[in-house]
Parts: sequence; structure tokens; C-alpha cells
Amino acid sequence: MIPLKYNVRNLRVRWKTTLMTILGTALLVASSCILFGLVEGLEYSLKVSGDPLDLIVLRKGSSNETTGGFETSKADQLLTLPGIQRDPSGAPLAAKELLNIANGERANGTRNNLIIRGVQPASRDLRPDFKIVAGRDFVEGRGECIVSKIVSRRYKGGQIGGLLYFGDKEQYRVVGIFTAGGSAAESEVWADLRDVEKNTGRDGSVSCVQIRAASLPDYEKLQKTINDDTQFKLEAKSEKAYFEDQSRMGLFLKAAGTLIAVLLTFGAMFAAANTMFAAVSSRTREIGTLRALGFPQSDILISFLGESFLLCALGGALGLLATLPLNLLTIETFNFGSFASISISFRFGWTVAAVAMIMTVAMGLFGGMFPALRAVRLEVIAALREL
Amino acid sequence: MKYFTYIFRNARRNPIRTFLTIASTGICLFLMMILLAFFDMREDATKANRVFNRIITMNATGFAGMVPIGRVPEVSRMEGVLAASPYGWFGGKYHDETMPFAQFSVDADSVFKILNEFRVPDSQLADFKANKDGAAIGRRLASDRGLKIGDPLPLKGDLYPVDMDLTVRAIYDGPSNRNLRMCLFHYEYLDEALKKVTMSSAYGGSLATDSARTSGNAGMIFIKCKNADVMPSLSKKIDDLYRNSEFPTRTQTEEAFGKMFSDMLGDLQNAIYGIGAAVVVSLLFVAGNAMAIAMRERTSEVAILKAIGFSKGRVLFLVLTEAILVAGLGGALGSLGCKALCDVVDVAKYSAGFLPVFYVPWRIALLGLVVSLFVGFASGVVPALLAANSSVINGLRKVV
Amino acid sequence: MEAKGYSFMRQTSSIVLRSVYKEYRRDEFVIPVLADLDLEVAEGEYLALMGPSGSGKTTLLNLVAGLDRSTKGEVTVHGQVLGHLSEAEVTRWRANNVGFIFQTYNLIPVLTAFENVELPLLLTSLSRRKRREHVMTALRIVGLEKREHHYPRQLSGGQEQRVAIARAIVTDPYLLVADEPTGDLDRTTAGEILDLLELLNREFQKTIVMVTHDPLAAARASRVLHLDKGRLVDEVIQETRVSIAS
Repeated sequence: MIPLKYNVRNLRVRWKTTLMTILGTALLVASSCILFGLVEGLEYSLKVSGDPLDLIVLRKGSSNETTGGFETSKADQLLTLPGIQRDPSGAPLAAKELLNIANGERANGTRNNLIIRGVQPASRDLRPDFKIVAGRDFVEGRGECIVSKIVSRRYKGGQIGGLLYFGDKEQYRVVGIFTAGGSAAESEVWADLRDVEKNTGRDGSVSCVQIRAASLPDYEKLQKTINDDTQFKLEAKSEKAYFEDQSRMGLFLKAAGTLIAVLLTFGAMFAAANTMFAAVSSRTREIGTLRALGFPQSDILISFLGESFLLCALGGALGLLATLPLNLLTIETFNFGSFASISISFRFGWTVAAVAMIMTVAMGLFGGMFPALRAVRLEVIAALREL
Repeated sequence: MKYFTYIFRNARRNPIRTFLTIASTGICLFLMMILLAFFDMREDATKANRVFNRIITMNATGFAGMVPIGRVPEVSRMEGVLAASPYGWFGGKYHDETMPFAQFSVDADSVFKILNEFRVPDSQLADFKANKDGAAIGRRLASDRGLKIGDPLPLKGDLYPVDMDLTVRAIYDGPSNRNLRMCLFHYEYLDEALKKVTMSSAYGGSLATDSARTSGNAGMIFIKCKNADVMPSLSKKIDDLYRNSEFPTRTQTEEAFGKMFSDMLGDLQNAIYGIGAAVVVSLLFVAGNAMAIAMRERTSEVAILKAIGFSKGRVLFLVLTEAILVAGLGGALGSLGCKALCDVVDVAKYSAGFLPVFYVPWRIALLGLVVSLFVGFASGVVPALLAANSSVINGLRKVV
Repeated sequence: MEAKGYSFMRQTSSIVLRSVYKEYRRDEFVIPVLADLDLEVAEGEYLALMGPSGSGKTTLLNLVAGLDRSTKGEVTVHGQVLGHLSEAEVTRWRANNVGFIFQTYNLIPVLTAFENVELPLLLTSLSRRKRREHVMTALRIVGLEKREHHYPRQLSGGQEQRVAIARAIVTDPYLLVADEPTGDLDRTTAGEILDLLELLNREFQKTIVMVTHDPLAAARASRVLHLDKGRLVDEVIQETRVSIAS
């Protein structure tokens, strides 16, 4: 086999070309990885949002919390059902929640819909790892709210002490910033259920009821009871399944990411091929010499393919590395599924690594294949005569 | 141009490299077109519709808020208003498909006076107006779903606790950059169904908060004005009129309304623009690299040119022109090709209802072309300068 | 005209060409290069091929080295009929049996002298330690053992050619083929290279086939063949060669 150092040193000797190719491919790989990092972040937040023992109860036929409202009286009945887990103080781990979608103004003057979630005390325990990280929790009935970090940063009046103003009747004083284990709740504004009822004039209705069952058999029993009740006209969905269904935004990001990745891979492939063709043509005589010395065609093929791989792997690795600082990146955008703001945190995980890897392999293989084949097909005698 | 032959031959001397450079530039710009068009298209479409002089009134707190139906006649009586119609988002399911296409409850009599770029055969329009359960759907929606006049179009309520069993009565057509995938149906049909739901406040989700409570919610009001001049004053007049009511409004032009949707994407828009910028920078490296390789292979030739009396400036010009030619060709293929493709193929059809219409606006396509010319220029500068300043003696030595 | 002593060598011919005909095709043109050539080279012989450009001497060299195939006729080297080997087999055969010396040295610029010489050994199953031994022996023979870490561009032309010779002999092949080995060198350096080739022929019994324009180089060979238009025109057997000592 032709030693790898032959390729490494050639890349080093042509360092300007190598560097340009690496930087070019790195940027392209990083671009695709950013979107897939967001996909991964979104999927993660949906995954941690659903506890296996949690049920979410919506009006039958509605597909989303924001679209599924029903009467408080039914909701109150739900809270008394047997089989609901209880906290140490004996209160049921279940909460009525009321969502309102209000058009908020960002600090930069643009607008987006925000989900205002009116919650009950148990709502906090129903979210993974709910924590107040700054300020304090809101006090019921005082028109206060807590927000996630990104909402606090992006929206006018979202800072602690600020006023989130949606209209004369709907405004909330921000008193704290919360996290919820990276779950979907981190896209929302949380306020007291009764405050939201009052402000939106919707007392007597809830958007959903969240329930944690005491055990798996209880979970199944609860779900059956609620779904089979003809009076209720409600549907208890597994929270896990519910959040999996909420991935419309994820589909969009995935489609965009895939499109970008595929097109950019082709772009990078051609760039790599350009570099490798130049490498082959400037080393024609060397190739002839190696062949004369007795290196078989397969060795030449492997050597040049290897060089192409090496080149692309360096680009891919650099591109991947470039996304590392993005681990702190959270973007705030519009979710077509809920018609409201959603925060997505970049998450570096297997998908991102796999995308970078697949891109690199595709670039290295297809970018290197034709130049390498050209190297293989060179006539030894003609190649030796080349200047 | 007397040097053109020489430049062109040079670009063709290594056809594979030139092809690869053109291809990578083309592909990257193709992608850029799609990314940019995604955001710009809506604005462009509404901007193009400026001539239609339309404004939209919604509840000041957002789409979820109430706009009482009684305001539609109030507004339509205002000075400068040609027609006004309720415009309520229904968001129903079609065969269990969530949000398959846009559905609006409208005033059948006035809606096509407002959306007057759409053409509907007279008999169909009359049919649509005459039948309360009638629906007017776009040509593309009809062809996507294989719907004909007279076909049932059942929509299951998602936001609303009522189902709409519609029948296709009219199929509208219009310019290809407009949404030809909408379903418009009678406001009264929805409102009556809502009144029948023996239910108070509770039914209906947040997006339909108030409508469900009282029915009588127009959702939004789509207003056609006499001319562009009255639009600002009219918007102000409407908002002022309702400022101190229970439901204050926000009225804006159709253009601003479209922009509001793009703006909602917020950071995602920036992320996509960032990616677009990264692609351009990457192209600089790729094209610059190709040009540098080309020049390295031609060292001796440049030396000969200079030996026979070509000035530095002329050499610079030759190399730069070649770089711009190659990148520009890629850019033209990528950006204009993308535009042509989207014009010929109805890309939106494959977005599963996500995009009602997709096309590349001219300004985006031209921007792509300009970007590629810039890439050509920037990628050619360094190799061109090196070639222009190369030593004749060293270059010639390589020849022999 | 046969000299004494050659009859024995001829019996164990290292290289035998029988009615070898070679043509090149370029588009519709057929260019005959070698016409019905018969040739025998004895083991341990040092053969110089001379002739004007286009006379077919490099083609003959390529045939003997297994780089090219004859259109008609048979080329046998050390008992092996090259025409019977597949492309892959002839490549392997080259690796084991032929050492190449080129006019332009053809060292790999990114590899050191040591690594360049080691290249052909990478095709064998020798251990790293064994390879090192062989490389150092070869470098010692050409007198460059102290230059093992130098890259080609850090060496003079003569030194580069000596590294190339070390690379040619490191696998201990039967046959060395040299195409204008002194073509790029000044007279003194050329002399040193020719001394080295002669040493390899005398001390190590390598059969050498060398193409050259240079009468001084040809004078070192034990036999000189002149080619013209693809035919052997003259054969000189030099009993008394210009020796290293002189």
C-alpha cells in the first residue's frame, strides 16, 4: 500500500489549496449541521416533555392544546378520578390549564404570537425539572407571570420587573425566569390560571387538563374511563404521543435541513473533486512512477480516494467543531403547528454527527472517485513522459 | 470584445474544472434561491398586490381575538372602501389531515370583489353565492385533490367544535404567484353552525376564543380600498373608531400583514440568512481555489503574454474576467435555473400543504446573479494579482 | 563475430525477444515502432541502446521492463513470457524483478530519501525492521546513507539520481532499466552515476539495459546496440570497457 503519509504530506505541500477546500467544505457541513442541531433540539424538547405516566386531556377532535377547549366543570370532575398520583401533601398531580395566544412585540419591533399558559400549582411538578432560575415564582391572583430565558431576552417587557403588554385587559408583570428541563414549556409564558381566565374573559373553560397517573395500570384505567365516557366528549392522550404529534415544526426543519444538506453535499463534492483533479493532474508523473515501481492500480485508487477522504474529513471535522459554540444557541421562531412562538435550542447529538459524517463520506467518496479513477486509468508510459 | 475568444478558450481548456466550478456555484446558488425565496416570496407577492389597495383589520391582541361581525358593514360604508368581507381562519381537518390547506369563512358576495385578481366563471360565482354550503376553491387545490364542481368537501373542525360539510361550487384561477390553494366558504354557514352548538363559552380553543363564545366573529376584515392614498388614513380611522371598544383593532396593509408572518419566524429567518451567508463565503473559497489552481497551471503562459507585451493591467483584466465569467455562468444557471424550475414545476404541491405557493421572485434571482458575479470577482482578485505581478523570467523558465 | 565467453552467457539468456513487432495507433494512423526485432541479452550483461529520437529504443526498453506490450512476437525475461501475464500480474512481476532509473529521477517530492527508497519494499511483506535494513544497504551502496532524511528538493541532481538508483536496487531485482540516466546531469556527475551503474553490473551482477544518447555513457556498457527506424543496425561488443579506475 502507498503509505498514508504520502497523502498527508501532499495535502501539506499544497496547503493553500487544502486549506481553501477545507474551509469551503467546513462551512457547508456546518450549515447543514446547524439545522439538524435544531431538529435534534426540538425533538429532544418534545421527548422530555412527555412523561410516560402523563395524560393530556383535550376536547375530542382537537389536535392541539391551543385548539382544544372544554368546560371547567368537566375538568373538575377529571381531577377527582381515582388513580391520579398524589404529591407528599396529598394533592393530586393534575392541573387545569388555559392557553391564550397573544400577539407580543419583540424587542426589535417585530411581532409573534406567544402562548400564555394559565397554570395551577401542580403544573410545575408535571413538567420535568421545573426551576425558577431568577427572580421568584408568581403569586396567584396578582397578574404576575414567569417566562423562559429566551422570551425574557427577546420580548419587550420580558425582563424581570417588566410588563408583558398584549392589550389593556391582558398584561402581566414578569417576576421570574424559569427552566423546565428543556421541555416545550420553555417556549411559554406562565401565569396564574385565574388571572388568565379573567383577562381573556374565559372563566368556565380550560384548554386542557394534565394528569399524572399513579401507576401504569392506573394510567390505562384513567385513559379508558375518560375516553369511553360519552358525556365528557373528551380524549385523554398519552402525553408522549401528543408531543410526538407536535413535530410539524420538526418536519419542516428536517425537510429544510435535508434539502440544504443534500444540495450542499453536491456543492462540496464538486469542490473536493476540483481539488482532487488538480492533485491528480499535477502528480501525473508520480503516479506513472508508482505504477512503474509495481504499485497495482487498486493501490493508486485507494491512495487518491484516501486523500480525498482525508481532505473532506478535515473539512467535516472542522465544520462539526464550528457548531460546538452553538450549543448555547437558542432560537425563537414561529411554530406552524401551534400558531405561536417556539424556542428551539441547538443540540449537538447523534443526528448532527451522523449528518456531518454522511456528508463527509459522500463528499470524499464521490468527490474523490472520478479523480482517483482518472489517476488509475493513466497510461504508465504516457504518465512518465508528463512534465 | 477582442479578448473574449482568449478568455473563453481559457475557461474551456480544463473543461472538467470549469464544469465543477460552475456546478458547485450553481448548486449553492440554487439553494440560496430557495432559502431566500422562502422568506421573500410572501412579501414579494403582497408587494406585487399593492396595486390592489387592500388592508386587513384584526384584533389588536392577535389572531385569537374577536372582531365583531357587525363591524364589516360599518367598515364597508366608510368613505374610500370599495368592499369588505369577514376573513376567518377555520383551520379544519380534511380526511384527518391537520391543516391541509387554508380555509377562510368569507362574505360570498363581496370576496371576489376584494380578491379581484382571481377569475371565477360567472355561472360558478352565482352558484357559489346562491348555496350556503358552497365553497370556492383554488385551481391548484382542485387539481391536487381531484375536486370538481359539485364534489363534497367535508372539513372537520379543529379550532371550532363544528364540522363544515361543503360542496365545491366554484373554482377560481389567478396569477401563479397567488395562493391558488385556498378554500373560501360562507361566513353565515359557519356562524349558524356555531349558534347551534348549545354551549356557552367553553368550546373552542384559544385561537377561536371569542368566536366560540358569542359566534359573530369575523376573524379578520379584508378591505378593498378605492386607491392607495386612502389606505393609511382609512387604517387609522378604523383603529381609532374601535380603540376604546371592548375589542380594539389593528389595521395594516396586506403587504405589512404578509411581512408580519415572515417576521414571526424571527431567529429562524436570521439562522437561514446566516446559512446563506456561510454558503457565499464557502463559494468564495471554492471558486477562489479553482481559479488559483487554474492560474498555477498557466504560470508559463502568463509569462509569455507578458513577454510579448501585455501590461499588468491587461493580465489582471483577463484573469478577472475569466473568474467572473465562470462564477457568473454558475450563478446564472443556479439562480435563473431555480426560478425557471419553480415557475414551471409547481413545487408547493410537494410541501404537503405547508406552502400554498412557491416561486422565486425576480429580485431574489437577480440578487443571486449579483452574488455570483461578486463571488467571481472576489475569487479572481488574488490569483489575478499574483498572475499580473508574476515574474516573466521565472514563468518562462518553466516552459523549457 | 561472436566473442569468446559470450557463448556461455547466451545460453542463459536473461532477456529474449523473438520477432517482436510494435506499433502505435493514433486515430487512423498506424505508426510502426519496432519491426521484427530479435534480441538476446545474457544474464549480467550491460546493454546500451543508442539511436536517434524515434528509433524505438525507449519502446524497446519499456517492453523489456514490462511497462508496455508488443503487438506481435514474444518478450521473455528471465524465463517469464511477459505476454502471458495479465496487467495485474505484470505489475507484480515488475515490482519483484525490475528496477527503474529515469532521466528525471522521478522521486516523490513529498517523501524523504529513505521513504522514496522504501517505496518498492512496501509492496513486499517485509517487516519494518527488515525494510529499514534493506533501505540502508541500498543507500550505502549509492553513498547516501547520511542523507536518508533529506527531501528530494534538498538534494543535488546527482544525489537525486543516486537515491533513484537506490530505489531501483532495494528489492534486489534481476534487471535494471535506465532511460537516459545521465541526460539531466553535468559531465562529472554523470560520470559518478555511470561508475555506480558499472559497479552494480560488476559487483552485484545486475543485468542492465540502458537507453542513452551519450557516447560516453554507452562506452561503459558491455554491448552497444544501435537502433534506427525500429531495426537493429549495428552491434558493438566492447570487450574492454572504460573502467571505473580510469
